[in-house]
Amino acid sequence: MTLLPKRHGARFGFRQLVNVAFGIFAAVLVYLVFNAIIGGQCDGQCVMGMLNQTIRYAAPVALAAYCGLMCERAAVINIGIEGMMLMGAMTAYGVNVYAFTAMKAGGMDATVAGEISRWLALMLAVASSGLLALLHGVVSIRFKTDQIISGTVINILAVGITGYFYRQYLAQDIPPGPGTFQPFDLPLLAQIPILGTIVFSGQKPIVYFMMMVTLLIHYVLFFTPWGLRTRAVGENPRAADTLGINVFRVRYINVLLGGLLAGFGGAWFTLEAVDVFNPMMTNGLGFIGLAAMIFGNWTPFGALTGALIFGLGNTVTTTLSFNRPDIPSQFPQMLPYVLTILVLTGFVGRAIPPAADGQPYEKQ
Amino acid sequence: MSSIAGIRARRNELRVSLLRLLDTLSMPVLAIVLGFVGGALIIWMTSGSLETVFAAYAGMLGGAFLKTRGLSETFVAMTPYVFLGLGLAVGFKAGLFNIGAEGQFYIGAISAVWAGIVFTGLPTFIHLPLVILAGAVGGAIWAGIPALLKVRTGAHEVITTMMMNYIAFRLTEYLVSYPLRDAKSSAVQTLRVSPNAELWSLYQVPQRLQDPLNALFVALVLAFIGWTIAEWIFLRPKWVARWTRARRHALTVGIGLIVGLVTFFVLPPLTRAWWLVTDPYDRMHIGIVMALIAAVAVWRLMWKTTVGFEMRVVGANPDAAKYAGINSARTVIITMLISGGLAGIAGTIEVLGVSICRCLPLFFSSGYGFDSIAIALIAKNNPIGIVGAAFLFGAMRNGADLMELQSGVSKYVISLIQALVLLFVAAPAMVRWMLRMKAARDVETEQLTRGWGA
Repeated sequence: MTLLPKRHGARFGFRQLVNVAFGIFAAVLVYLVFNAIIGGQCDGQCVMGMLNQTIRYAAPVALAAYCGLMCERAAVINIGIEGMMLMGAMTAYGVNVYAFTAMKAGGMDATVAGEISRWLALMLAVASSGLLALLHGVVSIRFKTDQIISGTVINILAVGITGYFYRQYLAQDIPPGPGTFQPFDLPLLAQIPILGTIVFSGQKPIVYFMMMVTLLIHYVLFFTPWGLRTRAVGENPRAADTLGINVFRVRYINVLLGGLLAGFGGAWFTLEAVDVFNPMMTNGLGFIGLAAMIFGNWTPFGALTGALIFGLGNTVTTTLSFNRPDIPSQFPQMLPYVLTILVLTGFVGRAIPPAADGQPYEKQ
Repeated sequence: MSSIAGIRARRNELRVSLLRLLDTLSMPVLAIVLGFVGGALIIWMTSGSLETVFAAYAGMLGGAFLKTRGLSETFVAMTPYVFLGLGLAVGFKAGLFNIGAEGQFYIGAISAVWAGIVFTGLPTFIHLPLVILAGAVGGAIWAGIPALLKVRTGAHEVITTMMMNYIAFRLTEYLVSYPLRDAKSSAVQTLRVSPNAELWSLYQVPQRLQDPLNALFVALVLAFIGWTIAEWIFLRPKWVARWTRARRHALTVGIGLIVGLVTFFVLPPLTRAWWLVTDPYDRMHIGIVMALIAAVAVWRLMWKTTVGFEMRVVGANPDAAKYAGINSARTVIITMLISGGLAGIAGTIEVLGVSICRCLPLFFSSGYGFDSIAIALIAKNNPIGIVGAAFLFGAMRNGADLMELQSGVSKYVISLIQALVLLFVAAPAMVRWMLRMKAARDVETEQLTRGWGA
């Protein structure tokens, strides 16, 4: 007994209360899953389908979380992820539709044109989001503005830009587009029993990209010189500078990389989920991604876990409102947000952000 | 001799304070100008003609000021901005970023509608304050939850208040479409609030004052305001030293009484004889007066009270606050309650004074809450500045429709301009770099928010 820290588990405080609430919430969620499964006479096939969908819904949240992760490991807080994703979503949709129309008018075969325009749309979406990230970088690194304010500027700017272009070019009289990416199975990996069906089949490119990027970030962050530099800059920039690391350069590159990841997350909305663009369609997923990052204690696999929880919540929500139209749809729709708040309150006290997080670096 | 020196000294003082005022104003004004230049560039690039740029800005000016009822619509749009901007400024001063003003606005609106529907038959002087109180309490609760979570568990308010926004949208949507829905209407909207809970339009004032109870209500409010201002004036050391306490109180209460009596007896016949707004389609309402009062009240709160001082210390330097024995948890909660309450009142005013059905429709999109972040920052959290910035944003919002009609430029361009203005305000170093300006002599940087760790 003496081995245990004295107050360990002895005190029942507010955080414990929140964790109990979280537990109850999780139980309700599990019950709802169960209910949704039973109500729809769900067999094993259908359970696997739901898990597959969970991963699909987790992808944008995970990518947002990785964006936050890249930035914050180099001590730049980024709450502009929401705006970057919105920008990516708008660009992807616009480019997809208009490039397709142009290429078809040029006499190209519709299937080929569709394929080319989708990939072009993805690239430009990523680039547009990267541009916003660069702006965030310049404002917060070069001009040393309060990073949370700078992120808010990015969010508001993105709402303005996307709203303007939406109203000007994408609201009415849009030519028919090529639609979203087609789902496909990964060769070999999809052959693995059960796991292959749940994880590696029937997804679209950005979801597979998300899986790959999880491994990549983990590797880069913890096993390469670049990752070591990034973490050093995030924990103690002064020391890193003394050792000859260019703090500003590391921060710029990380913020840019994060922005590119957020662009993939944004493109998910219009190139994978649905074939339309609405202003405000990202619905707070960027912020939820940040919560997933905090939940995961600033590690890629932790963030992925957080994202998967939200993916599950989202899957349950959709399944539930499909099977139980008698429940007002607003309440299931609130679930992800309530979940986010609970996660933050229950876990954030124990999570430790990079030591220099949010502080502009002043070179001496 | 001495008088000449005195005049010189006073003139010098005036000059210095004027220069300082110019110094403070220069950055926001530059940011606004640059924002409009940026907007012009974007319109020019997307439309390809300079005429469109001029047509757009001319349309915006015309819509905001020149068209019939243009100016009063600008005041209507400005009113919620003042309340929300004040709410955000209170938060920023205490180092809290209340990004959830939009949600608090919604909850305030729906709480006010609820209080306006369920209570019936109450006279105005009870019902109207009750409804406003309900809105304020609704907003305050919605901001209080994130504050409590921040204090107790350290959850950062930027994410929690944002999440509370989305929950507020869904909750409002549910309440509008089920429990409070007006079943007789084909549109999805709540029931109409009781007429006594409505916020008076300005053109109604003479007619409303016919009722002696209403006149008494207005007289009481004005008497209270008169008394408060008298108290502020006569609590200055100069007067405290000169008069006894009893005499001072007699004087302030007397001033209040006189204001009240004059209002009660003179205002109703006066407004019947002459009143500035007679057009029944004019939507301007008494909310604008309330907004100005709120600005003064917030200024007093921040600069002349202990609570305000504690807020500012907690915002400026949490460690110093701790050493000074300030209960920062309590301060954080109070700040967020005030901030949310102000946002709630903004929602209340919008729904009780502006919405034509005097109810909450399902598609009640506002965007006011997010714009107000820019307002608070442009104004550097100064209440007078907030009134000015709110006027600018109200004018832009009001002018946008005519601009779109006349030039074909999407009205979203105003949010683009606003975002640019915010960008330039947030990064004064960037403006200086762009304009090749030298850094100000005493650059005062205020830390507005805190990272996850703090």
